[in-house]
Amino acid sequence: MECDRCGADAVMHAAYSGAHLCEEHFRESLERRVRRRVRRDDLVPKDASPANPQTWVIGLSGGKDSIVLTQVLSETFAEDPRIELVCLTIHEGIEGYRDRSLEACLDLTETLDLRHEVVSYEDEFGVRMDDVVEDDPENMAACAYCGVFRRDVLSRYAEAFDADLLLTGHNLDDEAQSALMNFLEGDVSQMAKHFEASLGPLSERRAQEEFVPRAKPLRDVPEKEVALYAHLRDLPAHISECPHSSEAYRGEIQRLLYGLEENHPGTRHSILSGYEELARLATDRYHGDDHAELRECVECGSTTTQERCRKCSLLESIRAV
Amino acid sequence: MRVTVDVTGEGVHEIDLERLESASPTYADLLARIELSPHEVSVLVDGRPVPEDAPVEVEQITVLRLIKGG
Repeated sequence: MECDRCGADAVMHAAYSGAHLCEEHFRESLERRVRRRVRRDDLVPKDASPANPQTWVIGLSGGKDSIVLTQVLSETFAEDPRIELVCLTIHEGIEGYRDRSLEACLDLTETLDLRHEVVSYEDEFGVRMDDVVEDDPENMAACAYCGVFRRDVLSRYAEAFDADLLLTGHNLDDEAQSALMNFLEGDVSQMAKHFEASLGPLSERRAQEEFVPRAKPLRDVPEKEVALYAHLRDLPAHISECPHSSEAYRGEIQRLLYGLEENHPGTRHSILSGYEELARLATDRYHGDDHAELRECVECGSTTTQERCRKCSLLESIRAV
Repeated sequence: MRVTVDVTGEGVHEIDLERLESASPTYADLLARIELSPHEVSVLVDGRPVPEDAPVEVEQITVLRLIKGG
């Protein structure tokens, strides 16, 4: 089969657009979608300049998504003195798995000559996920602990680096799954939070002084295409799954979406675009509901709605074992 | 024609094209036979990715499954 644009051998078919693309045109297409998302989300503010550069922290895990995001952003802004990229890798204390993905991260940031910081749960909190999973004091999935710790580390370091933006490698499949999960759970206030935290264009989000804003520039790109891009460019993406991964509900939604996408190409795009519109509307309804209750955690001082933040209560349970 | 489908790290399947319903089976038809979605794998022919809607013209393909995790 031939590329629609040049007649060379196609390497992929995007059923949602009908396109068949060769390697060169597929690469261009993915890079264009990432840059378009950066523009649409107003990620580069008008007052950014070489004298007032923006610091963007990329959460770099070493998996395909964050590796591709880092590669594309690095090439996009290599010659742009307004944007400074810093990569942040977190070692959760998952032996073997994270050791190897950390090597992929180091390999990439060395090649791209990017600033790269590595932090660990062990140094930050005195815990390792391998032990947390073993003890499991709250009887929860591993990802439930890990997600709380990861968000804490990412936010704190983004703040410590004086970041203007925190970027993660969530792709279209990830975001369409989250959107559908929030919808099926009937959680409209969560949709509003999603919009304010990472989904909405920066110019439309209400300022949240407490948090570094987040963005997901890969969210227009299906997961499969992210993997294909990493494969074609031979990027050093680490290819094994976390041994503790156990998001059963997300897995169920993922299978559902594969089936829908197969029978109705474009479903993931339309779910996310409708969800963004609903989430934007929900921010009007829910604005201020949580805001007034924000306070400082008595243990660590981070912003929370409780007396003690979720991270500190989890750490307390873990240490009590 | 029989096609050998090597799902990397998981196993090898032999699929008889004549037994598939389609008159000119595609790589997506082969995937459907082993209950894989084209959205969760890449199909490689001689190490190169191919569109899943292309007709099957070779006797050996490799299937790479997507790895979750960013």
